[in-house]
Amino acid sequence: MDNNNIDFTTIWKQQKGAQPNIDELMNKLKQYKKSNLRKMIVSNILLLATSGFIIFIWYHYQPQYITSKIGIVLTILAMLFYLFAYNKQFSTFKNIDDTQTNSEYLKSLTVLKVKQKHIQTTMLSLYFIMLSLGICLYMYEYTSRMTKFWAIFAYAITMTWIGFNWFYIRPKTIKKQQTKLDELISKFETVNKQFNED
Amino acid sequence: MKFEEIYKFYWQKIFRLCMGYVNDYDLAQDIAQETFVIVWQQLPKFRNESNIGTWVFRIASNNCLRQIEKEKRIIKTELPIDLKEENQDSIEPQIQLLYKFISELPETDRIIISLELEEVKQAEIANIIGLSEANVRVKIYRIKEKLTKKFKENGQQ
Repeated sequence: MDNNNIDFTTIWKQQKGAQPNIDELMNKLKQYKKSNLRKMIVSNILLLATSGFIIFIWYHYQPQYITSKIGIVLTILAMLFYLFAYNKQFSTFKNIDDTQTNSEYLKSLTVLKVKQKHIQTTMLSLYFIMLSLGICLYMYEYTSRMTKFWAIFAYAITMTWIGFNWFYIRPKTIKKQQTKLDELISKFETVNKQFNED
Repeated sequence: MKFEEIYKFYWQKIFRLCMGYVNDYDLAQDIAQETFVIVWQQLPKFRNESNIGTWVFRIASNNCLRQIEKEKRIIKTELPIDLKEENQDSIEPQIQLLYKFISELPETDRIIISLELEEVKQAEIANIIGLSEANVRVKIYRIKEKLTKKFKENGQQ
């Protein structure tokens, strides 16, 4: 070659990697599937346990008012929604075609991340709204049996807590998620630009 | 084509591609294995309309690009500075240097040069990464120039 006789190809090909035998590879495949499943179960257990607890309340205390029942359903739905969106995040990658060209692949990754960003933000807000609404409705039956002062007091405390979540925790979480995704998106775009140079 | 055959024929090639991309033996092994897991999963969908090599290399290089996301900050172990004083006639340091220099290139260049050194046809490289053949040719020329320069700076002949 004209590169002053450095034969890169020969040097390149001397690098060898230990090839695991095929059973080992299949084991890895199984492990990989198992660990994905485990990850999903662990992340869902807390939410499932909470939903279980709420269902237990329904059976045990037998709420009379329709508001309480709607409240319970809303709360559970909120959690299930969140869970669904969260789990979907793991599976979206499976929908990317691994066999397209690098440049198309990078574009799909970027699109996916932008979508993910949108879903995370919307889902989080929806989750908080449904959860708050559910709690407020659920409380109604019990506060209606209290004196006016304690009823207002109970709602005031709950609203403060909800407000804290909405105005402090929610934006903070969104910002954290977005910064991470924005970094990735810009990195993907930078790499993709490498194709357009020259 | 049976998976076992693909696995046997392409393992070293894919491993080198990954190694050129990350310059970290263990990580490259992992990425190569991951690649074959994907190949295994996707194989039933493979139709003979494209070349199996192109197909496998696409999966592998896309999987390398996915590493950006995993963000396991790779701490590249620096080569000892007095490397060239050690057994100069041994090819070892040359291999290490080549892989080190390649892994320092921009992401897409790493893939392009790895495929070129693997003696994949330039038309096929173009088809793997999604660029025109003319573009690929220019890029390869420049990358080789860059590598040669780096080698010279390091006192390799």
